[in-house]
Order: sequence, then structure tokens, then C-alpha cells
Amino acid sequence: MDIIAPLAKTGFITEAQNLWLAIPTGFLLGMALQLAGFTDGRKIGRTFYFKDTDVPTVMFTAITTGMLGLWGLSLIGYLDISKVYFIPTYLVPVMAGGFLFGIGMVVGGYCPGTALASSFTGKLDAMVFVIGFFLGSLLFGDLYELWVEFYKSDYRGVLRMDQLFGTSVGQTILILVLIGVVMSVGMRLVQHLVWHNVQPISSLVLRSIQYILVGLALVVSVGMAFFPNDAFLPSEAAREHYYMVPRPILELLETQTNIKADAE
Amino acid sequence: MNNISKTPPIFSGILIGLSMLAAFVIAGRGIGTSGFLTRLVATVQYELLPEVTEKSAYFARYFFTDTHPLDNWLTYFAVGLVLGALLTSLITKSWKVEVLRGERISSAGRLLLALLGGGLIGFAARLARGCASGQLLVGGAELAVGAWAFAVCIFAGGFAAAYLVRKQWI
Repeated sequence: MDIIAPLAKTGFITEAQNLWLAIPTGFLLGMALQLAGFTDGRKIGRTFYFKDTDVPTVMFTAITTGMLGLWGLSLIGYLDISKVYFIPTYLVPVMAGGFLFGIGMVVGGYCPGTALASSFTGKLDAMVFVIGFFLGSLLFGDLYELWVEFYKSDYRGVLRMDQLFGTSVGQTILILVLIGVVMSVGMRLVQHLVWHNVQPISSLVLRSIQYILVGLALVVSVGMAFFPNDAFLPSEAAREHYYMVPRPILELLETQTNIKADAE
Repeated sequence: MNNISKTPPIFSGILIGLSMLAAFVIAGRGIGTSGFLTRLVATVQYELLPEVTEKSAYFARYFFTDTHPLDNWLTYFAVGLVLGALLTSLITKSWKVEVLRGERISSAGRLLLALLGGGLIGFAARLARGCASGQLLVGGAELAVGAWAFAVCIFAGGFAAAYLVRKQWI
């Protein structure tokens, strides 16, 4: 198949069209968060007491979908993965941020995306959460001098799990999908042990469809595990893209392109 | 009340994944929400207190460029996100002005904790260079080591603090 994606980077669509298409892309996320029940802070908060286990299940399903899609499209030659922006790793800062983020989730009941979505469904607690987010962000930005050194520390470049563990891209995908399945099922089992009369999530038919979808994801990722890295990262340019970017070059990129070093 | 959602989690997870995949395929970038919120509040602060905002090396990169900080892919994405949530809540008849809280906490207590949690996450998302969507989901799909470490630490932080705020939820 001819490479045509990412559409905005291969000239298939204009930059203006790319911006307009961000609206339906966001619409899909807003709709999904509302359907998932994630616009209800109780659902997110109760994750941390094993009273509701949809958060990890939805999270792992979303990652699996994006992961199989991204690498699968590269595998069949539809997408030039070297033109996709990859998030660089600053390991210690991202871990410290994650720990604070987790505390914030159980205290506040939301993450930024769910709070923004929930605010527009009339939920006052979500609106207050967003105000809190604004204040926390301002604190970070206005007193940036205090933590800039830590923020920029432990830079690892674009570091992927397969590079860290010395496995192939395909094998890594399979392992991560398996971890997702084990964690989702495991959380559900703990829920049964801690809270006895747990209601079934959905009807037998819907449950069966879910099992089939999970099985399908497993079959696809087992298939992917047999492909060598060259199949996922076809061009020399694509492979180079993933090697660690030396710090000075990254800083140059940051200053020239405004947001490049930030996932946002 | 164990499961508030009626949509099976695998279905909604796939929809979220498809939103992320659409961003990869169309824009060649990840989705994200926190970046828009920070840009929004930085812009407001810049209007009110330009000196303070310009002094921050973090915010300066939003303003010392040719484009307005909100003239960005993330803004369009956020507009779509709120429209999606708004319309879906109207259609499913769940749009309602209310404070969502557990049975053992007052509305005021819940709002105070929401403010505190929001503040923590507003700071943490900047430190981590992204939030649940921009860092966790996108980085997770890209096999980024940072994103998977972020996920582990989110659950560690959440479980560590859970006992202190248990009355809020259960």
C-alpha cells in the first residue's frame, strides 16, 4: 500500500484542513468519555478502592487500540511512522509527575480531559477541578525557575520499551497487550474479593462481544510478534528518528518549533 | 452503584483509541487536553498581567512566536471534545447541574477536594509533560518508556492517597 498517512505531513491535506479535522477527532473522545461514564468523578475516584474497575480496562483498551492501529498501519505501509511525533522521555520528572497526578486523581476525581468534558455536562465539581487545574498550571509556569532544573533532568530521548528491554517492536506490543488483559482481569478479580455483590458490567451478549474483541486484539498482536523491527520501521530515516536525540539538538528544536518537546 | 456506565468498557476504550488513532493518521501527532488548558490560562494571565507572564521562561515560549498560543491543533481538538461530551450528555439525558459526590461527604467538602485535586494535576501534568491523554495514552501506544512509568506512578500515587479521602467516594 502506498504511504499516505499522516495526512497532514504527507501533503494529502492542508494545515487548515488538519485543524478542522481535529474537531471531529476531539468529538469522538468527548463522546467516548461521556459514554464510558468518565465524566462522573465518582467512577474515577472509586477505581482506587477497587469499587469500579472500568478505568484500567478502558485505559488499556484505548492504548491497545491506538498501539495496534499505529504500528499495524506502519506494518502494512499505509503510515510513515517517522513522520509521527514521538514523546521523549524525561524519566524521573515524568515519574514524579505521575505520582502527584495519581494523588490528584483520587483527591479530585478527574484528569484534565474528563474534567473538561464533564464541565460541559453541568457537573460543578468538574468545573471547580478545572479552576484548580488552571491555578496549578500557573504555579508551575510562574515559578518555573524553581523546578526547571528538575523538569529538564534525566533526559532519555525518544526511548521505547523495546529498546529498553531489547525485545522486538512486535514482541513488545504482544507483551503490553497481555499486561493490559492481565491487569484488567486482575482488577476485576480484586473487586470481587473486596466488594462481594459486584454487578455484571453488561449483558451476556455484550460481554461475549467484548471477549471476542479482546481475543481479536490478542491474535493480531501475536501475529505482529513474528515481524522483525524493519517491518515496523521500514526506512533508515524512520529508524534514526527513534534513536536518542542529543540534548543540544532537542533544545534547538524546542526553541524553533515552540512545542516540540512537550506532549501536552 | 458499582458501575455507573452502561457502555461496556471495551467499547468505550476502543472509541477513545480510535480518536487517538485518527490523530496519528490525520495529524501525525498525539491527542491531548492539558496543553490546551495551560495555554488558555496562560493567555488569560498574559492579558491581565503581561509582565508576570513574560518573566516565566515556561510561558514565554507560548508568546514569543508568530502564532497566537491558542491558534493550535490542541484548541480545535478541545472544542471537539467539549462538543462531543455536551451533545452526548444531552442525547443520553444526563446533562444536569449537580455536584457528584459519595454519600459520606458534603457538597462543599467535595468541591474543596476537587479544587485541591485539580491544582495537583495542573502542576503534575506540566511536570510530566502531558496528562492522561497526551502522555499516558499516546505515549503508551507509542511504546514510550516514560508513559508506562507514568502509568505505574499514577496508580501508586492514587492508591497511596486513597485511604485519606475514602469518605469522598465510598
